[in-house]
Amino acid sequence: MHTLWLLFVSFALVGLGAYGGGLVAVPLIQHELVDHRAWLSVMEMSRIIAIAQMTPGPISVNAATFVGYRVWGVAGAIVATTAVVLPSLIILAVVSRVLDMTQTNPHVWRIRQGLQAGVLSLLLFSMWSYGRGVISDWPGLAVAAGAFALLMIPKRKIHPVLVIAVAGLVGLIIF
Amino acid sequence: MSLPQLSCLPSHEEGAGPVSCTSLFWAFFRIGLFTLGGGFAMATVMRHELVVKRRWLSEDEFISAMSTATAVPGAIAVNLAFLQGRRLRGKAGAAAATLGTVCPSFFVILLVAWFALPYFGNPRVAAFFKGCGIAVAGQIAYAGFTFARRLRRDWRNFTVVAFGLLIVGVGLHPVWTIIAAASLGYALFRGLAPTHPEDHDHL
Repeated sequence: MHTLWLLFVSFALVGLGAYGGGLVAVPLIQHELVDHRAWLSVMEMSRIIAIAQMTPGPISVNAATFVGYRVWGVAGAIVATTAVVLPSLIILAVVSRVLDMTQTNPHVWRIRQGLQAGVLSLLLFSMWSYGRGVISDWPGLAVAAGAFALLMIPKRKIHPVLVIAVAGLVGLIIF
Repeated sequence: MSLPQLSCLPSHEEGAGPVSCTSLFWAFFRIGLFTLGGGFAMATVMRHELVVKRRWLSEDEFISAMSTATAVPGAIAVNLAFLQGRRLRGKAGAAAATLGTVCPSFFVILLVAWFALPYFGNPRVAAFFKGCGIAVAGQIAYAGFTFARRLRRDWRNFTVVAFGLLIVGVGLHPVWTIIAAASLGYALFRGLAPTHPEDHDHL
């Protein structure tokens, strides 16, 4: 089969499986691209993941662009990036229509109440798993706490991007 | 409902007129360009741009879209952009917002692949990005805080959150947290259907 089609299928599967955000996509990418298709070595993959984390945007999207480019140039990048977002957008288009129609339905309301609390569990968990991955020492913990404190300042509403940039400069000094 | 929800920000001004697709695209382009990582970290930036700065959405509308974005497969940031764009300007808005969010990642990655790859090995660059990456943990914590603040403090929500944490905590796939939360919510919130119009969730 044509490589571009295989790229599309692989990244559509990654997009569908990347559930709950962030690094959840990593084992899926490894399964599809390293173990299954052998387009990348494990070393290359870990390098791509590291760069995907250092650059703006969701990891799964970044990884798709990168791997697509590696495998089939700019056309591959476009195909892989489209494939990684398309399945969830199709599902979302259907789901949001249904939710619009059932906005006042008490059964749907009950499910949505539960979902909201469930999302908070995923948020707390991602805070823990992500934090554990990037924070390895006390200075690191201090930087994370500082960033959180800056965002928490009421009234001032400091732009989150500014907080990240300041943390980067602090990183230059202390790491 | 007996327990009030804390509200810290006013809703967007009524009658401000629909947001144009072009300004939607560029707003989400900014969000996509300036967020390190996606998902919950991007939710913090998105909230700042859409709720705090531009007042296009109320806090409730934003939070409500966040639970839908997480419950559906795919990158949360992209899902969130789709929903917010759709809310602000229908199908065209959804397309503009999604494209705006994905474009910066796409072009930045291509630029990295072409030019910047060698620089990522430099220890100074690595130290800078290490600092940035750690601050992202603070961003995620802040997203958790703003989200938790909107939930009612009652035993039902505590039960669902605790159960959901347990599921991912023992290493099960996050989809089980969503399934369990939906079922538990359905069971626990029986007879508590919304009584006020503002209790209805918006998409």
